[in-house]
Amino acid sequence: MYEWMSRYVDAIGMSPASVVTTVFGAFCVAFVVIICWGKLVEDFGPAGGFIAGAIIIGTFWVMNHKLPGFGINPEGIPHPDGGSKQFGLIYQGFRGAGPWADMGAAVGMGLWVCGLCETRKGERRLLAIESVPRLTAAIAGGIVGGVIVGLVGWTGANLFGYK
Amino acid sequence: MKFVSTAIGGAIIGALAFGIWPEMWKSYGIMGGWLASAVLVGICWYMNHWLGIISNEPGRIWVDQGWAVCSAGIAWGMVRFGEQFFQALPTLICCLIGGGLAGIAAAHVKKRNPRFQPRDAATEVEKIEEVSHV
Repeated sequence: MYEWMSRYVDAIGMSPASVVTTVFGAFCVAFVVIICWGKLVEDFGPAGGFIAGAIIIGTFWVMNHKLPGFGINPEGIPHPDGGSKQFGLIYQGFRGAGPWADMGAAVGMGLWVCGLCETRKGERRLLAIESVPRLTAAIAGGIVGGVIVGLVGWTGANLFGYK
Repeated sequence: MKFVSTAIGGAIIGALAFGIWPEMWKSYGIMGGWLASAVLVGICWYMNHWLGIISNEPGRIWVDQGWAVCSAGIAWGMVRFGEQFFQALPTLICCLIGGGLAGIAAAHVKKRNPRFQPRDAATEVEKIEEVSHV
């Protein structure tokens, strides 16, 4: 079984263990956000949203995306293949050579599927179609923001005389 | 207009998350990442979802700012480090599967857990009957 599962490791860039940790990490963060965030906002108003952003997203960021290191100026533990070892649950594909896949996708998908399950059966298709343009706009906006922040790496400004 | 404001909100959370989060982590370690999430997600949630810059009318399926963070992460990696999109796909698909499972599980939990039923007694009876038919 394990050999069969390990056959495509090179092709998809992640081992079966990474699949398990990634799915589990995504499940945990999405479940906690769906269950707790709304209730915190209901109980505390906008301050509840700030609390949720800190304690839910912050805590699950540590679980899902942390990199090794402790305190100020963390030094990564080197990976034999180069780069730093990862200890977070959500595995970054091809030993970190792939672009950053964030747990935001899990939260968004969880809230979307939860909304779909909560509507009545006859209305589901219409509501799903209605949400697609908004979804596309949010994703397109994210792409614009990410591309522009990524361009910073290409400006090559040499500030304050550092070399 | 609502699509434009949705896109603007997505662009702002995406740019903030990947302009600041890695630097905060590199400077202050785990605590920096935690602090970044408190500051960035806190203020962006206030703008996008409390004030409604990302358009979510009541009764519709929720579109979260998490989508924008994810697409920004992939676009940022592709532009800044020259990585390829397909290399993020396996992790992305696993994330979507895990999130979808959580959505189904949470919808069922919310249907049955007494804390998620409406407080009003009349609607509560209706709800219980509705649930028992399911």
